[in-house]
Amino acid sequence: MALVTSVRDYINRMLQDISGMKVLILDSETVSNVSIVYSQSELLQKEVFLVEMIDSISASNESMSHLKAVYFVRPTSENVQKLRHQLANPRFGEYHLFFSNLLKDTQIHILADSDEQEVVQQVQEFYADFVAGDPYHFTLNMAANHLYMLPAVVDPSGLQRYSDRVVDGIAAVFLALKRRPVIRYQRTSDTAKRIAQETAKLMYQQESGLFDFRRTESSPLLLVIDRRDDPVTPLLNQWTYQAMVHELIGLQDNKVDLRAIGSLPKDQQVEVVLSSEQDAFFKSNMYENFGDIGMNIKRMVDDFQQVAKSNQNIQTVGTNIASLKLYSCKDVQLLVLVTVIICECFGFTEDMARFVDNYPEYKKMQGNVSKHVTLVTEMSKLVEARKLMLVSQTEQDLACNGGQGAAYEAVTDLLNNESVSDIDRLRLVMLYALRYEKENPVQLMQLFNKLASRSPKYKQGLVQFLLKQAGVEKRSGDLFGNRDLLNIARNMARGLKGVENVYTQHQPLLFQTMESITRGRLRDVDYPFVGDHFQQGRPQEVVIFMVGGTTYEESRCVALQNSTNSGIRFILGGTAVLNSKRFLMDLEEAQRISRSGSHMV
Amino acid sequence: MATRNRTLLFRKYRNSLRSVRAPMTEAKSGVGPVIEMASATLLHPKRSYAPVSTEDPGSSSRGGAITVGLPPDWVDVSEEISGNIQRARSKMAELGKAHAKALMPTFGDGKEDQHQIESLTQEITFLLRKSEKQLQKLSAAGPSEDSNVRKNVQRSLATDLQFLSMELRKKQSTYLKRLRLQKEDGGDLEMNLNGSSSRAEDDDFDDILFSEHQMSKIKKSEAISVEREKEIQQVVESVNELAQIMKDLSALVIDQGTIVDRIDYNIQNVASTVEDGLKQLQKAERTQRSGGMVMCASVLVILCFIMIVLLILKEIFL
Repeated sequence: MALVTSVRDYINRMLQDISGMKVLILDSETVSNVSIVYSQSELLQKEVFLVEMIDSISASNESMSHLKAVYFVRPTSENVQKLRHQLANPRFGEYHLFFSNLLKDTQIHILADSDEQEVVQQVQEFYADFVAGDPYHFTLNMAANHLYMLPAVVDPSGLQRYSDRVVDGIAAVFLALKRRPVIRYQRTSDTAKRIAQETAKLMYQQESGLFDFRRTESSPLLLVIDRRDDPVTPLLNQWTYQAMVHELIGLQDNKVDLRAIGSLPKDQQVEVVLSSEQDAFFKSNMYENFGDIGMNIKRMVDDFQQVAKSNQNIQTVGTNIASLKLYSCKDVQLLVLVTVIICECFGFTEDMARFVDNYPEYKKMQGNVSKHVTLVTEMSKLVEARKLMLVSQTEQDLACNGGQGAAYEAVTDLLNNESVSDIDRLRLVMLYALRYEKENPVQLMQLFNKLASRSPKYKQGLVQFLLKQAGVEKRSGDLFGNRDLLNIARNMARGLKGVENVYTQHQPLLFQTMESITRGRLRDVDYPFVGDHFQQGRPQEVVIFMVGGTTYEESRCVALQNSTNSGIRFILGGTAVLNSKRFLMDLEEAQRISRSGSHMV
Repeated sequence: MATRNRTLLFRKYRNSLRSVRAPMTEAKSGVGPVIEMASATLLHPKRSYAPVSTEDPGSSSRGGAITVGLPPDWVDVSEEISGNIQRARSKMAELGKAHAKALMPTFGDGKEDQHQIESLTQEITFLLRKSEKQLQKLSAAGPSEDSNVRKNVQRSLATDLQFLSMELRKKQSTYLKRLRLQKEDGGDLEMNLNGSSSRAEDDDFDDILFSEHQMSKIKKSEAISVEREKEIQQVVESVNELAQIMKDLSALVIDQGTIVDRIDYNIQNVASTVEDGLKQLQKAERTQRSGGMVMCASVLVILCFIMIVLLILKEIFL
């Protein structure tokens, strides 16, 4: 069952048994969970006529006891406190409380204590504690994402909170899927190990009754890995629709904010929705590359113009018919003439009727076409301005092909190029450093210096910090395909064969991991089991959780893998959805904290 | 998908806490609050909108005695509209049956069927029109939570109305199409007969004046064209009416799949419009106080006084 369907089912169940007018109260996290899968019009059909945030609901004292309150919030201590106040002075007739994760007994006690007027009708746990953007991709939208890069001693309470939130999110996913998995983690990452062990404790010891589901022939697998094992993917520029929009403009909860764009065409909303569930064109194009998207959009625009032209005809003919009717004709001949004209236009009258019937769809089509055209136009402008074709070619070469000398030349050229922006320069040097960390340190130093001199905003030592976090010693996977002979051979074969598109030749490391799982050859040395877990044979469902965040390129990889019907279903999740800006921001934040920490020590 | 019901545990805690609390409050006020509540209702028989709970703040436990309070008036309007929509829906089912019956080949004239169809169509259109007018009444002014609820109720009813109008349009158009096909099959034969005979007599056309045969031919084609014109007129009229309704409704109905259909967008907008509304009100208050009107009026009054004084002075000294 896909994730989107699970969350929708939860919300349906919440609302269906409560009759009458309802108000839905959410907190700042559950509002994303709900908005991404459920639309306002569907809520209206379920008689939910008001949606409020738990923070603002206590601001007014207006009593609306003809409404029944449905709360859907996370079971945090802040929310419980707010609920306390609201239950003490109830504004609504009935209160139905749904929490998105496990409640502690003390919290239930507090709520029961404050419910003096006995307005609470039910208290339930509905585990929709994740943001399900696509059927096989979820995120937890965590704000302080950089904590996974820091050692535990720097901020133990912060890391504990981080880890708790992740464990809650993963537990919610498995409760929604009604499975209890076998857990493996990446050996080289402390954060991943900690999360894996705490999840195992929750599922097998603390709440083993809750997780005791019907056993299937093969247990599903939860694999907890670290972003730092593949730092290349978030740094690359993307050329497939969904990933490209997130990289160049920014996609948050399936919404795109166009405010940063200079001039929008009139009638264009400032924010647009890109959801594969609601937009058929997006669904068929979200994993296509930029060139193909352009052609498909052109086709869509042509189709739409045909429809618009016929509508234009109808409108003029309609006014003609209306004006003819004004003549009251007593003369037989005139009557015949009018009738003949009208009969000729009768064909148009049918069209006119059809136009009125299809008007809502026509309007929807117009909005959709305009949205995609605006997005693609804007992205083309950005590609042009930042010379991304040139930059991306070098990036892909750095990520996929060998040749240290040639790479050094290319990067130096681009660093000297004036129209390349600071962030692109930083990315290029980072990619070079990640690949050729050990070869020719002199040239590497030269690149660092050049970068520092060219980009005044560049934070000193960020690249070195990245190497410390995700350098060749820290990584367990074979990121560049140059560790074992098989991969080297494969790369050579690919180089000889040539690639069909130079810009999309990169495959994220996740692809190799998924292949190893499909073949049942995921190495125990690199990805050990937690405790005494054991997996017989191949799993049929695999949830891969990436601590530190996923990217849309990886989500595309998972979706394509799922469509090959290999018998295994993969689900990907992370603490956030990264683009290069976000990844660099997390790096900078982690660097800043570790610097100030070392000063204190 | 897994869920866990904590209501039993919650109720257990609540009851145990109630028994802990109850002895303390009962000792304090005893039966007092209950009596107060009874007298309060006697004194304010017309207070129908306030819920029962606000009348006895002192009582701590009434074991589920709170009922959903009476809603404000606009809820009655919305219930009326949904009642009309229900009635329109059942009439549309009847209309469907009448259409099917009229399309079946009969020996009779089919006039009563036509009548019934016409009357049903008119009733449905009237119901839709009335609901649409009442829908406009639901609009509220001012940013408040109640107005958001009203707006949402309005939207949901508008969506239902639009759907019904479109259904009606579809039913009508399929019926007319089938009717036309039937008439054409019947009429074609006649036209063919007339056509062949008219060709034979075309040569003699200039010589012979309108013979009786030709007169009847013309009359028949006249009747057919009159009938077709009437049908077309009906179609155009109903299309116009429904287009009007749809145009008015489209302002209210949410376009699915756009940003306006997102819950988080609506919550943000509500917050910002409430703030904007507050700012507008404050600005309006300020401009009203420092209003130009007030100043003009005071200046005029002062001038009047000055003129009167001058007049009096003139009278005294002259």
